[in-house]
Amino acid sequence: MDRSLFRLTASGASGLSFAALCFVFLPMLAGSYWLSIFTSAAIFAMAISGVAFMYARLGMVSLTQVGLMGLGGWVTLRLNHLWDLPFEVNMVLAALATMICGWVLALPALRMRGLYLALVTLMAAGGLEILFATYQFPNGGTGFWGVKIGSTAPFRRPALAQSPEAYLRYCIAIATLGFLFIEAHRRLFPGRAWALIRRSEAAAMAAGVNVTLYKTWAFGIAGAIAGAAGALLAGSLGLLDDGTFRSSESIMLFALAVVGGARFWLGAVIAAVLFRVLPGLLNTWGVDTDLAFVIFGAGLLHALITAPNGIAGQVHDLVAKVRGKRHD
Amino acid sequence: MIEIDAVTVRFGGLVALNEVSARLTAPVAGIIGPNGAGKTTLMNVVSGFITAKSGRVLVEGQDFLRLAPHRRAQGGLRRSFQKEQIADDLTVLENVLVQTDWSLTNARAKRAEAMEMLAVVGLADRAHKIGAALSGFERRLTDVARCMAGRPRLIMFDEPAGGLSVEETRQLGDLVLQIHGLTGAQTVIIDHDVELISRICAETLVLDFGRRIAFGPTAEVLADPKVKAAYLGTEEGMQ
Repeated sequence: MDRSLFRLTASGASGLSFAALCFVFLPMLAGSYWLSIFTSAAIFAMAISGVAFMYARLGMVSLTQVGLMGLGGWVTLRLNHLWDLPFEVNMVLAALATMICGWVLALPALRMRGLYLALVTLMAAGGLEILFATYQFPNGGTGFWGVKIGSTAPFRRPALAQSPEAYLRYCIAIATLGFLFIEAHRRLFPGRAWALIRRSEAAAMAAGVNVTLYKTWAFGIAGAIAGAAGALLAGSLGLLDDGTFRSSESIMLFALAVVGGARFWLGAVIAAVLFRVLPGLLNTWGVDTDLAFVIFGAGLLHALITAPNGIAGQVHDLVAKVRGKRHD
Repeated sequence: MIEIDAVTVRFGGLVALNEVSARLTAPVAGIIGPNGAGKTTLMNVVSGFITAKSGRVLVEGQDFLRLAPHRRAQGGLRRSFQKEQIADDLTVLENVLVQTDWSLTNARAKRAEAMEMLAVVGLADRAHKIGAALSGFERRLTDVARCMAGRPRLIMFDEPAGGLSVEETRQLGDLVLQIHGLTGAQTVIIDHDVELISRICAETLVLDFGRRIAFGPTAEVLADPKVKAAYLGTEEGMQ
Protein backbone atom coordinates (compact mmCIF):
# COMPACT_ATOMS: atom_id res chain seq x y z
CA MET A 1 0.00 0.00 0.00
CA ASP A 2 1.82 3.07 -1.25
CA ARG A 3 0.93 6.31 0.47
CA SER A 4 3.08 8.70 -1.52
CA LEU A 5 1.67 12.18 -1.68
CA PHE A 6 0.13 12.14 -5.13
CA ARG A 7 -1.08 8.55 -5.31
CA LEU A 8 -4.78 8.46 -6.10
CA THR A 9 -6.54 5.93 -3.90
CA ALA A 10 -9.97 4.49 -4.67
CA SER A 11 -11.44 6.55 -1.85
CA GLY A 12 -9.67 9.68 -3.11
CA ALA A 13 -10.86 9.10 -6.67
CA SER A 14 -14.45 8.65 -5.52
CA GLY A 15 -14.19 11.81 -3.38
CA LEU A 16 -12.82 13.90 -6.25
CA SER A 17 -15.45 12.47 -8.61
CA PHE A 18 -18.17 13.31 -6.12
CA ALA A 19 -16.83 16.87 -5.77
CA ALA A 20 -16.65 17.23 -9.56
CA LEU A 21 -20.24 16.00 -9.98
CA CYS A 22 -21.46 18.40 -7.30
CA PHE A 23 -19.44 21.20 -8.88
CA VAL A 24 -21.00 20.68 -12.29
CA PHE A 25 -24.55 19.56 -11.56
CA LEU A 26 -25.70 20.98 -8.21
CA PRO A 27 -25.74 24.64 -9.36
CA MET A 28 -27.51 23.61 -12.58
CA LEU A 29 -30.24 21.65 -10.83
CA ALA A 30 -30.91 23.66 -7.68
CA GLY A 31 -33.27 26.59 -7.30
CA SER A 32 -32.40 29.60 -5.16
CA TYR A 33 -33.60 27.92 -1.91
CA TRP A 34 -31.52 24.80 -2.51
CA LEU A 35 -28.56 26.80 -3.80
CA SER A 36 -28.40 28.50 -0.43
CA ILE A 37 -28.72 25.18 1.42
CA PHE A 38 -26.11 23.37 -0.68
CA THR A 39 -23.71 26.30 -0.30
CA SER A 40 -24.13 26.15 3.45
CA ALA A 41 -23.69 22.34 3.38
CA ALA A 42 -20.44 22.62 1.38
CA ILE A 43 -19.12 25.19 3.84
CA PHE A 44 -20.04 23.10 6.89
CA ALA A 45 -18.59 19.95 5.26
CA MET A 46 -15.29 21.81 5.20
CA ALA A 47 -15.62 22.89 8.83
CA ILE A 48 -16.58 19.33 9.85
CA SER A 49 -13.49 17.96 8.06
CA GLY A 50 -11.37 19.95 10.53
CA VAL A 51 -13.07 18.67 13.66
CA ALA A 52 -13.24 15.12 12.25
CA PHE A 53 -9.55 15.13 11.41
CA MET A 54 -8.66 16.13 14.98
CA TYR A 55 -10.80 13.31 16.36
CA ALA A 56 -9.77 10.64 13.87
CA ARG A 57 -6.04 11.36 13.78
CA LEU A 58 -5.33 12.45 17.34
CA GLY A 59 -8.36 11.37 19.32
CA MET A 60 -8.88 14.98 20.42
CA VAL A 61 -12.38 16.38 20.78
CA SER A 62 -12.72 20.03 19.83
CA LEU A 63 -16.06 21.68 20.48
CA THR A 64 -15.01 25.13 19.30
CA GLN A 65 -15.24 24.63 15.56
CA VAL A 66 -18.42 26.64 14.99
CA GLY A 67 -17.11 29.39 17.30
CA LEU A 68 -13.92 29.56 15.23
CA MET A 69 -16.07 29.73 12.09
CA GLY A 70 -17.75 32.73 13.65
CA LEU A 71 -14.38 34.30 14.36
CA GLY A 72 -13.30 33.69 10.76
CA GLY A 73 -16.54 35.26 9.57
CA TRP A 74 -16.04 38.23 11.90
CA VAL A 75 -12.51 38.87 10.61
CA THR A 76 -13.69 38.56 6.99
CA LEU A 77 -16.57 40.98 7.48
CA ARG A 78 -14.38 43.43 9.37
CA LEU A 79 -11.68 43.38 6.68
CA ASN A 80 -14.29 43.60 3.91
CA HIS A 81 -15.72 46.79 5.37
CA LEU A 82 -12.33 48.20 6.35
CA TRP A 83 -10.25 47.82 3.18
CA ASP A 84 -10.78 47.00 -0.47
CA LEU A 85 -8.89 43.73 -0.33
CA PRO A 86 -10.05 40.84 -2.55
CA PHE A 87 -12.23 38.21 -0.85
CA GLU A 88 -9.46 35.62 -1.11
CA VAL A 89 -7.03 37.81 0.84
CA ASN A 90 -9.63 38.37 3.54
CA MET A 91 -10.32 34.64 3.67
CA VAL A 92 -6.62 33.79 4.06
CA LEU A 93 -6.23 36.44 6.78
CA ALA A 94 -9.31 35.08 8.56
CA ALA A 95 -7.87 31.55 8.35
CA LEU A 96 -4.58 32.80 9.77
CA ALA A 97 -6.40 34.54 12.63
CA THR A 98 -8.33 31.39 13.53
CA MET A 99 -5.20 29.28 13.13
CA ILE A 100 -3.50 31.42 15.77
CA CYS A 101 -6.64 31.13 17.88
CA GLY A 102 -6.39 27.35 17.41
CA TRP A 103 -2.82 27.45 18.69
CA VAL A 104 -3.92 29.37 21.78
CA LEU A 105 -6.67 26.81 22.27
CA ALA A 106 -4.03 24.07 22.02
CA LEU A 107 -2.32 25.29 25.19
CA PRO A 108 -4.70 23.45 27.54
CA ALA A 109 -4.82 20.54 25.10
CA LEU A 110 -1.19 19.82 25.83
CA ARG A 111 -2.08 18.85 29.37
CA MET A 112 -5.64 17.59 28.95
CA ARG A 113 -7.36 14.91 26.98
CA GLY A 114 -10.73 13.26 26.68
CA LEU A 115 -13.66 14.83 28.48
CA TYR A 116 -11.58 17.58 30.10
CA LEU A 117 -10.22 18.77 26.76
CA ALA A 118 -13.74 18.71 25.30
CA LEU A 119 -14.98 20.82 28.21
CA VAL A 120 -12.19 23.38 27.80
CA THR A 121 -12.92 23.76 24.09
CA LEU A 122 -16.64 24.03 24.86
CA MET A 123 -15.91 26.82 27.34
CA ALA A 124 -13.93 28.62 24.63
CA ALA A 125 -16.91 28.21 22.28
CA GLY A 126 -19.16 29.62 25.03
CA GLY A 127 -16.83 32.61 25.39
CA LEU A 128 -16.94 33.30 21.66
CA GLU A 129 -20.73 32.95 21.69
CA ILE A 130 -20.97 35.66 24.35
CA LEU A 131 -18.61 37.91 22.37
CA PHE A 132 -20.67 37.50 19.20
CA ALA A 133 -23.95 38.10 21.04
CA THR A 134 -22.58 41.18 22.78
CA TYR A 135 -20.75 42.89 19.96
CA GLN A 136 -22.53 41.40 16.91
CA PHE A 137 -20.86 41.07 13.50
CA PRO A 138 -19.38 43.97 11.52
CA ASN A 139 -21.79 45.43 8.97
CA GLY A 140 -19.95 48.52 7.77
CA GLY A 141 -19.98 50.62 10.94
CA THR A 142 -17.05 52.50 12.39
CA GLY A 143 -14.77 51.70 15.32
CA PHE A 144 -13.14 48.40 16.20
CA TRP A 145 -16.35 46.38 16.18
CA GLY A 146 -17.61 47.94 12.95
CA VAL A 147 -21.29 47.67 13.80
CA LYS A 148 -23.86 50.25 12.79
CA ILE A 149 -27.60 50.46 13.11
CA GLY A 150 -29.64 50.37 9.94
CA SER A 151 -28.77 49.06 6.50
CA THR A 152 -25.71 46.87 6.00
CA ALA A 153 -22.81 47.99 3.80
CA PRO A 154 -22.34 45.84 0.67
CA PHE A 155 -20.14 42.74 0.82
CA ARG A 156 -17.66 42.02 -1.96
CA ARG A 157 -17.98 38.44 -3.10
CA PRO A 158 -15.10 36.73 -4.93
CA ALA A 159 -14.60 38.08 -8.43
CA LEU A 160 -14.96 34.53 -9.72
CA ALA A 161 -18.26 33.92 -7.94
CA GLN A 162 -20.69 36.76 -8.19
CA SER A 163 -23.85 34.72 -8.78
CA PRO A 164 -25.29 32.21 -6.27
CA GLU A 165 -24.54 29.34 -8.69
CA ALA A 166 -20.92 30.43 -9.11
CA TYR A 167 -20.60 30.92 -5.36
CA LEU A 168 -21.77 27.35 -4.70
CA ARG A 169 -19.15 26.12 -7.17
CA TYR A 170 -16.57 28.33 -5.44
CA CYS A 171 -17.46 26.87 -2.03
CA ILE A 172 -17.29 23.30 -3.36
CA ALA A 173 -13.84 24.03 -4.84
CA ILE A 174 -12.53 25.60 -1.61
CA ALA A 175 -14.01 22.78 0.51
CA THR A 176 -12.31 20.23 -1.78
CA LEU A 177 -9.02 22.08 -1.34
CA GLY A 178 -9.58 21.94 2.42
CA PHE A 179 -10.07 18.17 2.28
CA LEU A 180 -6.94 17.80 0.11
CA PHE A 181 -4.97 20.00 2.52
CA ILE A 182 -5.83 17.68 5.40
CA GLU A 183 -5.17 14.57 3.33
CA ALA A 184 -1.75 15.90 2.28
CA HIS A 185 -0.88 16.35 5.94
CA ARG A 186 -2.07 12.84 6.70
CA ARG A 187 0.19 11.36 4.03
CA LEU A 188 3.30 13.27 5.05
CA PHE A 189 5.39 13.44 8.22
CA PRO A 190 2.74 15.24 10.34
CA GLY A 191 0.31 12.40 9.60
CA ARG A 192 2.88 9.84 10.69
CA ALA A 193 3.59 11.77 13.87
CA TRP A 194 -0.15 12.10 14.64
CA ALA A 195 -0.70 8.39 14.07
CA LEU A 196 2.03 7.54 16.56
CA ILE A 197 0.79 10.14 19.06
CA ARG A 198 -2.66 8.57 18.83
CA ARG A 199 -1.12 5.15 19.42
CA SER A 200 0.92 6.34 22.42
CA GLU A 201 2.36 9.72 23.34
CA ALA A 202 5.27 8.00 25.08
CA ALA A 203 6.07 5.99 21.95
CA ALA A 204 5.86 9.16 19.87
CA MET A 205 8.29 10.97 22.17
CA ALA A 206 10.59 7.95 22.12
CA ALA A 207 10.59 8.24 18.32
CA GLY A 208 11.70 11.87 18.49
CA VAL A 209 8.24 13.32 17.83
CA ASN A 210 7.71 16.71 19.45
CA VAL A 211 4.21 15.95 20.78
CA THR A 212 3.56 19.56 21.83
CA LEU A 213 4.41 20.88 18.37
CA TYR A 214 2.30 18.34 16.50
CA LYS A 215 -0.75 18.72 18.74
CA THR A 216 -0.52 22.50 18.35
CA TRP A 217 -0.13 22.02 14.61
CA ALA A 218 -3.33 19.97 14.46
CA PHE A 219 -5.28 22.61 16.37
CA GLY A 220 -3.90 25.24 14.00
CA ILE A 221 -5.05 23.32 10.93
CA ALA A 222 -8.53 22.73 12.32
CA GLY A 223 -8.67 26.42 13.27
CA ALA A 224 -7.56 27.59 9.82
CA ILE A 225 -10.13 25.34 8.13
CA ALA A 226 -12.85 26.71 10.42
CA GLY A 227 -11.75 30.29 9.70
CA ALA A 228 -11.87 29.75 5.95
CA ALA A 229 -15.32 28.14 6.32
CA GLY A 230 -16.47 31.14 8.36
CA ALA A 231 -15.19 33.47 5.62
CA LEU A 232 -17.15 31.51 3.01
CA LEU A 233 -20.25 31.70 5.18
CA ALA A 234 -19.82 35.46 5.47
CA GLY A 235 -19.42 35.62 1.69
CA SER A 236 -22.56 33.57 1.18
CA LEU A 237 -24.82 35.87 3.15
CA GLY A 238 -22.93 39.15 3.20
CA LEU A 239 -23.68 39.39 6.91
CA LEU A 240 -23.67 37.05 9.86
CA ASP A 241 -25.94 36.48 12.80
CA ASP A 242 -24.69 35.49 16.26
CA GLY A 243 -27.38 32.78 16.47
CA THR A 244 -25.45 30.76 13.85
CA PHE A 245 -22.43 30.36 16.12
CA ARG A 246 -23.86 29.07 19.37
CA SER A 247 -21.67 26.62 21.28
CA SER A 248 -24.46 24.04 21.02
CA GLU A 249 -23.89 24.08 17.24
CA SER A 250 -20.29 23.00 17.82
CA ILE A 251 -21.49 20.05 19.88
CA MET A 252 -23.95 19.17 17.13
CA LEU A 253 -21.21 19.45 14.51
CA PHE A 254 -18.93 17.10 16.42
CA ALA A 255 -21.73 14.60 17.10
CA LEU A 256 -22.63 14.56 13.41
CA ALA A 257 -18.97 14.11 12.47
CA VAL A 258 -19.05 10.93 14.60
CA VAL A 259 -22.34 9.83 13.06
CA GLY A 260 -21.00 10.44 9.54
CA GLY A 261 -17.61 8.81 10.20
CA ALA A 262 -14.66 10.96 11.25
CA ARG A 263 -12.06 8.94 9.34
CA PHE A 264 -13.60 9.38 5.90
CA TRP A 265 -14.30 12.29 3.53
CA LEU A 266 -17.75 10.81 3.03
CA GLY A 267 -18.36 11.11 6.77
CA ALA A 268 -17.93 14.89 6.64
CA VAL A 269 -20.27 15.05 3.64
CA ILE A 270 -22.91 12.91 5.39
CA ALA A 271 -22.59 15.07 8.51
CA ALA A 272 -23.01 18.26 6.47
CA VAL A 273 -26.04 16.81 4.67
CA LEU A 274 -27.61 15.88 8.01
CA PHE A 275 -26.74 19.29 9.46
CA ARG A 276 -27.97 21.47 6.61
CA VAL A 277 -29.80 19.54 3.90
CA LEU A 278 -32.04 17.40 6.13
CA PRO A 279 -33.66 20.38 7.92
CA GLY A 280 -34.14 21.96 4.47
CA LEU A 281 -35.89 18.83 3.25
CA LEU A 282 -38.12 18.66 6.32
CA ASN A 283 -39.00 22.31 5.82
CA THR A 284 -39.90 21.65 2.17
CA TRP A 285 -42.13 18.77 3.22
CA GLY A 286 -43.86 20.96 5.78
CA VAL A 287 -42.54 18.91 8.70
CA ASP A 288 -41.22 20.58 11.86
CA THR A 289 -37.42 20.94 11.37
CA ASP A 290 -36.89 20.00 15.02
CA LEU A 291 -37.55 16.43 13.88
CA ALA A 292 -33.97 16.60 12.56
CA PHE A 293 -32.74 16.51 16.18
CA VAL A 294 -34.57 13.22 16.73
CA ILE A 295 -32.93 11.83 13.61
CA PHE A 296 -29.53 13.12 14.77
CA GLY A 297 -30.02 11.41 18.13
CA ALA A 298 -30.97 8.13 16.48
CA GLY A 299 -27.95 8.45 14.19
CA LEU A 300 -25.67 9.04 17.17
CA LEU A 301 -27.04 6.01 18.99
CA HIS A 302 -26.55 3.97 15.83
CA ALA A 303 -22.94 5.15 15.57
CA LEU A 304 -22.16 4.51 19.23
CA ILE A 305 -23.73 1.06 19.33
CA THR A 306 -23.13 -0.48 15.93
CA ALA A 307 -20.91 1.75 13.81
CA PRO A 308 -17.78 3.08 15.55
CA ASN A 309 -16.52 4.38 12.21
CA GLY A 310 -19.85 6.03 11.42
CA ILE A 311 -22.07 5.62 8.40
CA ALA A 312 -19.13 6.24 6.06
CA GLY A 313 -17.23 3.43 7.80
CA GLN A 314 -20.13 1.09 7.14
CA VAL A 315 -20.22 2.16 3.49
CA HIS A 316 -16.46 1.63 3.29
CA ASP A 317 -16.76 -1.87 4.78
CA LEU A 318 -19.61 -2.71 2.42
CA VAL A 319 -17.62 -1.61 -0.63
CA ALA A 320 -14.60 -3.63 0.58
CA LYS A 321 -16.85 -6.67 1.06
CA VAL A 322 -18.33 -6.37 -2.44
CA ARG A 323 -14.85 -5.94 -3.93
CA GLY A 324 -13.62 -8.97 -1.99
CA LYS A 325 -16.49 -11.05 -3.36
CA ARG A 326 -15.71 -9.90 -6.88
CA HIS A 327 -12.10 -10.97 -6.49
CA ASP A 328 -13.10 -14.40 -5.14
CA MET B 1 29.01 3.78 26.73
CA ILE B 2 26.22 4.53 29.18
CA GLU B 3 27.13 5.71 32.64
CA ILE B 4 24.44 5.58 35.31
CA ASP B 5 25.62 7.54 38.30
CA ALA B 6 23.82 7.29 41.66
CA VAL B 7 20.32 7.50 40.17
CA THR B 8 17.57 7.71 42.78
CA VAL B 9 13.84 7.71 42.05
CA ARG B 10 11.12 8.07 44.67
CA PHE B 11 7.37 7.65 44.24
CA GLY B 12 6.13 9.26 47.45
CA GLY B 13 7.50 7.09 50.24
CA LEU B 14 8.58 4.30 47.91
CA VAL B 15 12.18 4.29 46.76
CA ALA B 16 11.98 2.78 43.29
CA LEU B 17 15.68 3.23 42.55
CA ASN B 18 18.21 3.73 45.30
CA GLU B 19 21.47 5.30 44.14
CA VAL B 20 21.91 2.87 41.28
CA SER B 21 25.23 3.17 39.50
CA ALA B 22 26.71 1.20 36.63
CA ARG B 23 28.93 1.81 33.65
CA LEU B 24 27.65 -0.26 30.74
CA THR B 25 30.33 -0.62 28.10
CA ALA B 26 29.53 -3.85 26.25
CA PRO B 27 27.86 -3.63 22.81
CA VAL B 28 24.94 -5.57 24.27
CA ALA B 29 24.24 -5.25 27.98
CA GLY B 30 21.39 -6.62 30.04
CA ILE B 31 19.35 -5.46 32.99
CA ILE B 32 17.59 -8.17 34.93
CA GLY B 33 15.80 -8.53 38.22
CA PRO B 34 12.56 -9.81 39.69
CA ASN B 35 9.25 -8.00 39.07
CA GLY B 36 9.25 -4.60 40.74
CA ALA B 37 13.05 -4.45 40.91
CA GLY B 38 13.15 -1.08 39.11
CA LYS B 39 14.34 -2.19 35.65
CA THR B 40 11.69 -0.37 33.63
CA THR B 41 11.89 2.60 36.01
CA LEU B 42 15.59 2.88 35.19
CA MET B 43 14.79 2.70 31.48
CA ASN B 44 12.12 5.37 31.93
CA VAL B 45 14.64 7.60 33.70
CA VAL B 46 17.13 7.22 30.86
CA SER B 47 14.48 7.89 28.21
CA GLY B 48 12.96 10.81 30.10
CA PHE B 49 9.54 9.56 31.15
CA ILE B 50 10.41 9.63 34.84
CA THR B 51 12.44 12.35 36.51
CA ALA B 52 15.14 11.13 38.85
CA LYS B 53 15.35 12.75 42.27
CA SER B 54 19.11 12.72 41.97
CA GLY B 55 21.89 11.22 39.90
CA ARG B 56 23.16 11.45 36.35
CA VAL B 57 22.93 9.43 33.17
CA LEU B 58 25.67 9.99 30.62
CA VAL B 59 25.46 8.53 27.13
CA GLU B 60 28.87 8.79 25.51
CA GLY B 61 29.63 11.62 27.92
CA GLN B 62 26.45 13.61 27.24
CA ASP B 63 24.16 14.23 30.21
CA PHE B 64 20.79 12.99 28.94
CA LEU B 65 18.75 13.88 32.02
CA ARG B 66 18.76 17.54 31.01
CA LEU B 67 16.94 16.86 27.73
CA ALA B 68 13.24 16.46 26.94
CA PRO B 69 12.31 12.88 25.90
CA HIS B 70 11.98 13.71 22.19
CA ARG B 71 15.33 15.53 22.28
CA ARG B 72 16.94 12.41 23.75
CA ALA B 73 15.53 10.42 20.83
CA GLN B 74 16.86 12.98 18.40
CA GLY B 75 20.20 12.72 20.18
CA GLY B 76 20.42 9.02 19.39
CA LEU B 77 18.48 7.34 22.18
CA ARG B 78 16.04 4.65 21.13
CA ARG B 79 13.73 2.51 23.17
CA SER B 80 10.99 -0.03 22.75
CA PHE B 81 8.20 -0.71 25.21
CA GLN B 82 6.95 -3.92 26.78
CA LYS B 83 4.00 -3.75 24.42
CA GLU B 84 5.17 -2.89 20.92
CA GLN B 85 4.00 0.53 19.78
CA ILE B 86 3.16 0.20 16.12
CA ALA B 87 0.57 2.57 14.66
CA ASP B 88 -2.12 0.38 13.10
CA ASP B 89 -3.03 2.88 10.39
CA LEU B 90 0.53 3.38 9.14
CA THR B 91 2.43 1.01 6.90
CA VAL B 92 5.52 -0.82 8.16
CA LEU B 93 7.71 1.64 6.24
CA GLU B 94 5.85 4.66 7.66
CA ASN B 95 6.22 3.25 11.18
CA VAL B 96 9.99 3.25 10.66
CA LEU B 97 10.08 6.63 8.89
CA VAL B 98 8.52 8.32 11.93
CA GLN B 99 11.81 7.81 13.73
CA THR B 100 13.73 10.02 11.29
CA ASP B 101 11.02 12.48 10.25
CA TRP B 102 12.40 15.15 12.58
CA SER B 103 15.78 15.08 10.84
CA LEU B 104 16.61 17.45 7.97
CA THR B 105 18.26 14.66 5.98
CA ASN B 106 17.11 14.17 2.40
CA ALA B 107 13.76 12.35 2.27
CA ARG B 108 15.04 9.81 -0.25
CA ALA B 109 18.00 8.98 2.01
CA LYS B 110 15.68 8.53 4.99
CA ARG B 111 13.45 6.23 2.97
CA ALA B 112 16.46 4.24 1.76
CA GLU B 113 17.73 3.88 5.33
CA ALA B 114 14.30 2.76 6.56
CA MET B 115 14.14 0.15 3.78
CA GLU B 116 17.66 -1.00 4.67
CA MET B 117 16.64 -1.53 8.30
CA LEU B 118 13.51 -3.36 7.22
CA ALA B 119 15.70 -5.63 5.08
CA VAL B 120 17.88 -6.32 8.13
CA VAL B 121 14.87 -7.44 10.19
CA GLY B 122 13.42 -9.35 7.22
CA LEU B 123 10.41 -7.14 6.55
CA ALA B 124 11.47 -5.45 3.30
CA ASP B 125 8.86 -7.40 1.35
CA ARG B 126 6.15 -6.26 3.79
CA ALA B 127 7.18 -2.58 3.85
CA HIS B 128 3.84 -1.43 2.48
CA LYS B 129 1.70 -3.68 4.65
CA ILE B 130 -0.54 -1.80 7.04
CA GLY B 131 0.34 -2.04 10.76
CA ALA B 132 -3.04 -3.53 11.69
CA ALA B 133 -2.36 -6.52 9.42
CA LEU B 134 0.93 -7.51 11.08
CA SER B 135 1.48 -10.49 13.36
CA GLY B 136 2.83 -9.96 16.88
CA PHE B 137 6.36 -10.91 15.83
CA GLU B 138 6.22 -8.70 12.72
CA ARG B 139 5.15 -5.81 14.92
CA ARG B 140 8.09 -6.46 17.23
CA LEU B 141 10.48 -6.61 14.25
CA THR B 142 9.07 -3.31 12.95
CA ASP B 143 9.78 -1.85 16.38
CA VAL B 144 13.37 -3.11 16.18
CA ALA B 145 13.79 -1.64 12.67
CA ARG B 146 12.47 1.70 13.94
CA CYS B 147 14.98 1.66 16.79
CA MET B 148 17.81 1.01 14.34
CA ALA B 149 16.93 3.92 12.04
CA GLY B 150 18.48 7.38 12.25
CA ARG B 151 21.97 6.67 13.57
CA PRO B 152 21.15 5.53 17.10
CA ARG B 153 23.73 5.69 19.86
CA LEU B 154 21.90 3.72 22.50
CA ILE B 155 18.99 1.33 21.97
CA MET B 156 17.02 0.05 24.94
CA PHE B 157 14.61 -2.87 24.62
CA ASP B 158 12.12 -3.45 27.40
CA GLU B 159 11.21 -7.15 27.49
CA PRO B 160 11.25 -7.54 23.70
CA ALA B 161 10.89 -11.32 23.90
CA GLY B 162 7.66 -11.16 25.88
CA GLY B 163 5.02 -13.29 24.16
CA LEU B 164 7.41 -14.63 21.52
CA SER B 165 7.99 -18.31 20.77
CA VAL B 166 11.38 -19.96 21.37
CA GLU B 167 12.27 -19.70 17.67
CA GLU B 168 11.16 -16.06 17.46
CA THR B 169 13.17 -15.25 20.59
CA ARG B 170 16.22 -16.87 19.00
CA GLN B 171 15.75 -14.78 15.84
CA LEU B 172 15.32 -11.64 17.90
CA GLY B 173 18.49 -12.42 19.85
CA ASP B 174 20.45 -12.87 16.60
CA LEU B 175 19.10 -9.55 15.39
CA VAL B 176 20.10 -7.71 18.56
CA LEU B 177 23.62 -9.13 18.23
CA GLN B 178 23.89 -7.54 14.75
CA ILE B 179 22.86 -4.05 15.86
CA HIS B 180 26.26 -2.83 17.05
CA GLY B 181 27.98 -3.93 13.86
CA LEU B 182 25.30 -2.38 11.65
CA THR B 183 24.67 0.91 13.43
CA GLY B 184 27.45 1.32 15.98
CA ALA B 185 24.83 1.64 18.71
CA GLN B 186 25.06 0.08 22.13
CA THR B 187 22.07 -2.03 23.12
CA VAL B 188 20.62 -2.45 26.59
CA ILE B 189 18.01 -5.12 27.01
CA ILE B 190 15.64 -5.87 29.86
CA ASP B 191 14.17 -9.34 29.89
CA HIS B 192 13.14 -12.16 32.18
CA ASP B 193 14.44 -14.73 29.73
CA VAL B 194 17.76 -15.57 31.39
CA GLU B 195 18.72 -17.81 28.49
CA LEU B 196 18.37 -14.90 26.07
CA ILE B 197 20.28 -12.57 28.37
CA SER B 198 23.11 -15.05 28.90
CA ARG B 199 23.36 -15.66 25.14
CA ILE B 200 23.49 -12.07 23.89
CA CYS B 201 24.59 -9.84 26.78
CA ALA B 202 28.29 -9.55 27.58
CA GLU B 203 27.58 -7.71 30.81
CA THR B 204 24.52 -7.53 33.02
CA LEU B 205 23.20 -5.30 35.77
CA VAL B 206 20.94 -6.95 38.32
CA LEU B 207 18.46 -4.91 40.33
CA ASP B 208 16.32 -5.94 43.27
CA PHE B 209 14.02 -3.65 45.28
CA GLY B 210 15.54 -0.65 43.50
CA ARG B 211 19.11 -1.53 44.45
CA ARG B 212 22.00 -2.81 42.39
CA ILE B 213 22.81 -6.25 43.68
CA ALA B 214 25.25 -7.34 40.98
CA PHE B 215 26.98 -6.02 37.90
CA GLY B 216 29.63 -7.48 35.64
CA PRO B 217 30.15 -10.18 33.01
CA THR B 218 26.85 -11.98 32.53
CA ALA B 219 28.12 -15.49 33.34
CA GLU B 220 29.62 -14.30 36.63
CA VAL B 221 26.55 -12.28 37.52
CA LEU B 222 24.19 -15.19 36.90
CA ALA B 223 26.35 -17.42 39.07
CA ASP B 224 26.27 -14.91 41.93
CA PRO B 225 24.42 -16.39 44.95
CA LYS B 226 22.75 -13.00 45.62
CA VAL B 227 21.25 -13.01 42.13
CA LYS B 228 20.02 -16.56 42.53
CA ALA B 229 18.54 -15.60 45.85
CA ALA B 230 16.75 -12.60 44.38
CA TYR B 231 15.18 -14.77 41.69
CA LEU B 232 14.54 -17.93 43.66
CA GLY B 233 14.10 -16.50 47.16
CA THR B 234 16.57 -18.77 48.97
CA GLU B 235 17.32 -18.40 52.65
CA GLU B 236 20.42 -16.34 51.83
CA GLY B 237 18.22 -13.89 50.00
CA MET B 238 15.88 -13.60 52.95
CA GLN B 239 18.70 -12.60 55.29
